[in-house]
Amino acid sequence: MSATQQYVLLLGLALGTVGVVLCLYGLARSMGSTRGEPGKDVPASAGVLSRDPVWGRYHARYYGYALLFLAFDMEMAYMYPWAVVYKEIGLVALVDMGVFLAILFLGLLYGWSQGALRRQ
Amino acid sequence: MTIAVVLLALLGSAWLLAVIEAWLTTGRLRPAAPLLAGLSHLGRESILPRKPDRLFFETAPVLLLVVAVLGAAVLPLAPGLIIADLATGALFVNAALAYVLVALIMAGWGPNGAYAMVGGWRFLGQLIAYAMLVVMPITAVAMRAESLLTSTIVTSQAGLWNIIYQPLGFVLFFIAAMALAFRAPFDLPTAPGELAGGVDAEYTGVRLAVLRLARLVLVITLAAATTVFYLGGWHGPLLPPWAWSLIKILTVAVAMLLAGHYLPRIREADLLGWCWKLGIPLALLNILIVGLMILVVP
Repeated sequence: MSATQQYVLLLGLALGTVGVVLCLYGLARSMGSTRGEPGKDVPASAGVLSRDPVWGRYHARYYGYALLFLAFDMEMAYMYPWAVVYKEIGLVALVDMGVFLAILFLGLLYGWSQGALRRQ
Repeated sequence: MTIAVVLLALLGSAWLLAVIEAWLTTGRLRPAAPLLAGLSHLGRESILPRKPDRLFFETAPVLLLVVAVLGAAVLPLAPGLIIADLATGALFVNAALAYVLVALIMAGWGPNGAYAMVGGWRFLGQLIAYAMLVVMPITAVAMRAESLLTSTIVTSQAGLWNIIYQPLGFVLFFIAAMALAFRAPFDLPTAPGELAGGVDAEYTGVRLAVLRLARLVLVITLAAATTVFYLGGWHGPLLPPWAWSLIKILTVAVAMLLAGHYLPRIREADLLGWCWKLGIPLALLNILIVGLMILVVP
């Protein structure tokens, strides 16, 4: 099977799954609908609407981690192709990636020393 | 034919896992209970909360199920018994399961409820903790197999399973997989007893049935990934390959269940701290050790 065919197959699988779920929804709908009664649609919050708007600004207290995460996630994009040819290239590949990772790891240690690895 | 067999195996494993989970919590073995519960959800009201983000609310359960199925589609159960043996299989598993985060943020945002939203945002912090521990161990696996084809990864372990070759990677991946499947003790986004169900809180009726099914399938997909990457996939004596795959997948899934059964829930700040201060240095060490072993041992 060619790569294109495989991706088409996976797309078909995704659409098929959606189709099955829609059939289930249709089946449930055919068995009866929801009666609209007052107070039924209040979200789970002890029976009263929440005082503050839910879709407000959220303080991402882990932002120190999040910034480091970006650096590491970019690095992973290079790691996969490197991992595949690693055995073929040998020691040079280890040194190449070792230097790269060492710099990144020093960055992690520096961030740690500056208090980035803390829920702010 | 292959597709039908793989999907049946996936559903069957999910059903068995649900039976075992109920057995652990209630002490009663009722094989029909998951099916009856699913059917009864069909007959119940599926309430739409007031002023929801309808698109996000409806998409979340479906998206979670789709990505779990897609992840399972690139993992082999036996030689040839795989829906799509992609050249980038190991990467595709990652890519598909990254959407678990999207689905949970949608499930949190959609219903416009405070508890759900807190659960959704919490999972974003959880992703930042576990994500590196999913991808880094897989890199070390790919280094040994010299390929991202999941079937080649399995055949590379014919002589020695990766759990023995790189035990550190296995431990890290197993923990990260539990966090990705938001199983206890990493069930921060649902947090029963604390967030009133969190992202599950506003789902009722048939939508809840789909969400629960998606969670079970997600656990099976991650157990299958652990099997393929570390437990030698279909390799094993006497029994046919597919039987070994299923035995290993269920063993890993039940191990995840048991671990969650006996451990208290971890706080988000602690999870982030442990993963970044201990987990990532260990994952890098794992890559270095595997790299040296590949060069030294022919």
